[in-house]
Amino acid sequence: MNVLVTGATTPLGRALVEHLLALRDVGHVLAVGAEHWGPGLPSDGTRFSYEQVDLTRGRSVHDLLYGPARTCGIDTVLHGVLHRAVRDQGERIHAINVEATRLLVQACVRHPDIRRFVLRSGGEVYAIRSDEPNLLDEDRPLAFDAGAPQWLRDRVEADLTTCAQIGTAGPAIAVLRCAEILARGTGSQLWDYLGSRVCLRPLGFDPMINVLSIDDAVAAAVAALSCDARGAFNIPGFDTLPLSQLIARSGRHDVPVPGPLLAPLYRLRTRTVGFEFRYDLNVRRFHVGALLDGGRARAVLGYQPRHPIAFPSHAALAA
Amino acid sequence: MSSSLIHRPAVALRGFHDEGHGFDMFGLHPPTLRRSLALGGPLCDRYFRTRSYGIEHVPRDGAAILVANHGGALPVDGTLLVLDVDRKTGRIVRPIADRFVPALPLVSTWFARTGAVVGTHANVSRLLARGELIAIWPEGAAGIAKPARDRYQMKTWQVGHAELAIRYRAPIVPVAIVGAEEAWPVLGRIRGFRRFGVPFLPVPFLPVPLPLRHAIYYGAPIALHDELPPDAADDPGVVARAAARVRLALSELLHDARNSRAGRWL
Repeated sequence: MNVLVTGATTPLGRALVEHLLALRDVGHVLAVGAEHWGPGLPSDGTRFSYEQVDLTRGRSVHDLLYGPARTCGIDTVLHGVLHRAVRDQGERIHAINVEATRLLVQACVRHPDIRRFVLRSGGEVYAIRSDEPNLLDEDRPLAFDAGAPQWLRDRVEADLTTCAQIGTAGPAIAVLRCAEILARGTGSQLWDYLGSRVCLRPLGFDPMINVLSIDDAVAAAVAALSCDARGAFNIPGFDTLPLSQLIARSGRHDVPVPGPLLAPLYRLRTRTVGFEFRYDLNVRRFHVGALLDGGRARAVLGYQPRHPIAFPSHAALAA
Repeated sequence: MSSSLIHRPAVALRGFHDEGHGFDMFGLHPPTLRRSLALGGPLCDRYFRTRSYGIEHVPRDGAAILVANHGGALPVDGTLLVLDVDRKTGRIVRPIADRFVPALPLVSTWFARTGAVVGTHANVSRLLARGELIAIWPEGAAGIAKPARDRYQMKTWQVGHAELAIRYRAPIVPVAIVGAEEAWPVLGRIRGFRRFGVPFLPVPFLPVPLPLRHAIYYGAPIALHDELPPDAADDPGVVARAAARVRLALSELLHDARNSRAGRWL
């Protein structure tokens, strides 16, 4: 198996590259990123190479797949590029999130050598309602809210763009809807939420939260890359705990506040301090527990979460 | 008598699936359940003087469904049932709550910590698949706040419990709870609160329930799965007939229970 990994300069991308290179049945890893180089990535060698590519341009994607990818004998692609900053919006961000995904998956479908395509999506694509099950399986409704921030709308569109190709001829396509990775640099809303010494929580609500470690996200990606299973798969993490416990375990102060006050307070915080956490993105899951049901991933991919997260310390969050 | 939960460490609780931080995936937290049952003990023993009969019909392990009648301004009957089963069998009962409950502040969290689960098909299926004991009130929210003239009459009757029992090969134990439908008479319901998450607000005749004697009768298990294959759960006609059979069994049990009751007050 020779693997092309997009988003290789992210913490998850770097961990995945490192893990793939440690596997004997992986011949070559071609890492792709928007940056000139990614810190922490190995230097080019017989089993690893890095390409700086703008995936929002069709020509660049074509040249990547029919140039370096063909030279390296790439037969498997993992696409993990999603813009992480919530406050950024506009056409450029949409192109990174959605157009890049569309161009890449369509190019892979037409490519003669690609037999496997895996998209790393997220559990945030699901609509959360109080009368829905606590456990969300892959058939639950997605968050088609026209008023939602672009961050969310783009993720749903990228997910569906890939899902639309699942039944077509060409590579076996899988979409991994991962629980939130609680780590720096992953775009985690919870990480930013916990960045404040005082975490405001809706009064009277303490929903169950599931978080994923980078090790488990890597394990799920490798499991998906190593088989031909098609479809969407929820990837839950090892740790499931109430929001209040997550706050306490992270050494933060949990302050329940009446729900209607939270949105303006966090808007004010974003405007004054510039944090990424947006309450309107999280309001439903901060009221209603909604966990990903990993039954299908367990049965089909053989994925089982095994790695607890390292709860962020004061120093890590402050940094 | 104290709850058996009080004396058992969380890890030893049968039927508790710890997700690693002392909670199960639905939010059950044994220490909170333990405290709640300890608080409910005096209410059960001294105020309502609850007695139960036929506890041997409740399976000691494996998936099973308790199907009970519903009544009272608030679900006191559910609390008494959970407490009684815990004391007599050591099993944790997972009461199935209506879908508006997660939208209620404080109540949603307390229900989740004490084992209640929102009554969606996926949630209940998961509980039965892992062999838990659940309690369903097929009258639903309509059973709460019934007018006094409708006490012990099951006018609405949802059928999901029969479908689940057939599909997951779980016996149904009818449970007649006598006392709850009289102890807290309701004058009426105030509607128009749906935007706040609740279908109605009950208007009780008294601020607290009357100290009537309560009794819980467990009927013989109905093993629908002995007669029907799992695929029969897809047949609406079969499910409706099975649910009607459960309703009839509960009505008869309720009738016998009311007749054999020594007295309401003493």
